[in-house]
Amino acid sequence: MKSNSVAVVLGVLGVIFVIVAVLYAVGGVLPTFTASPVEGFHLKHTILFAVLALASFVGANMTRIKTV
Amino acid sequence: MGLLQGASELFPVSSLGHAVIVPSLLHWTFKQTEPSFVPFLVLLHLGTATALLILYRDQWVAIIRGFFTAAISGQMRTDSERLAMLLLTGTIPAAVLGVFLENRIKALFASPYEAAGFLIVNGVLIFGFEALRRRRERGSSREEQEAGFAQAERISFRAAAIVGACQALAFLPGISRSGVTIGGGLIAGLRHQEAARFSFLLATPVILGAGIVEVPQLFASGVPLGEYAAGAVLSGVAAYASARFLLRYFRSGRLDPYGWYCIAAWLISLALLHFCL
Repeated sequence: MKSNSVAVVLGVLGVIFVIVAVLYAVGGVLPTFTASPVEGFHLKHTILFAVLALASFVGANMTRIKTV
Repeated sequence: MGLLQGASELFPVSSLGHAVIVPSLLHWTFKQTEPSFVPFLVLLHLGTATALLILYRDQWVAIIRGFFTAAISGQMRTDSERLAMLLLTGTIPAAVLGVFLENRIKALFASPYEAAGFLIVNGVLIFGFEALRRRRERGSSREEQEAGFAQAERISFRAAAIVGACQALAFLPGISRSGVTIGGGLIAGLRHQEAARFSFLLATPVILGAGIVEVPQLFASGVPLGEYAAGAVLSGVAAYASARFLLRYFRSGRLDPYGWYCIAAWLISLALLHFCL
């Protein structure tokens, strides 16, 4: 499926995921969403959102219409 | 424990279920509620993942190369590039569900009785997958069936995501990761051997990821690392032998015997747990 709109949405999602990953890495900012009541650096969530960001950017690059 | 985990991880019979039930039956001293239990299991899983990496080393080199090529170029030109993207698609649902739900689910269903109960669910799921496959193949000749089988690289991205999401069921002790992913692969149109290959490839990044995240806890909890590492090595050896056996078995074998095994294991476990504990 090639669509620039989908690519833009995926790109924006990627940026959001990067921000969330950084927030989890900094720690104490998003305790509500974590399984652990302990505030601080959340390795699992940081890695997860970094992977989601990577996947979103890859998806955006895949779906964008290439101009030759 | 390492041999048990390595052997049962790749067979469609639930390694987690066996890891919960067998120690209780044999009165092994460690408890599932101990903080080091999950990291220990993860270390054993790392042994399994290493075995899978060794088994598919050439394919993983091609997959990793294919991932970077496809990610940068924005196109999937080769089978390896497509397989890399399918594995990424299949891994994401399991990773998301794993991070947010795994510990809560495992805490809810940590008793051997519940694990034994989910073994029968696993057996029923296996029979269900085989029944769906047979229904799809009914009425077609052997040649038509052979022509209809897809390679793992050719399945749809939606199918890869569904098979990947099925992995989350394996957080329930008693439900087998390889059972649900091989079954999902069958429904997606793969033959047994190819479904097993896709299942093993799909399991590797999830198991490795979980290991990387959990292993540091081992060093913090003051556990006997030498024994745990020996367990991981044994787990890897058993997993390698199991994978080789299963790939050979699935050339002509079916999932049904493992469904019967799960039902028998459920009955035996229940009887032993009831009368011996």
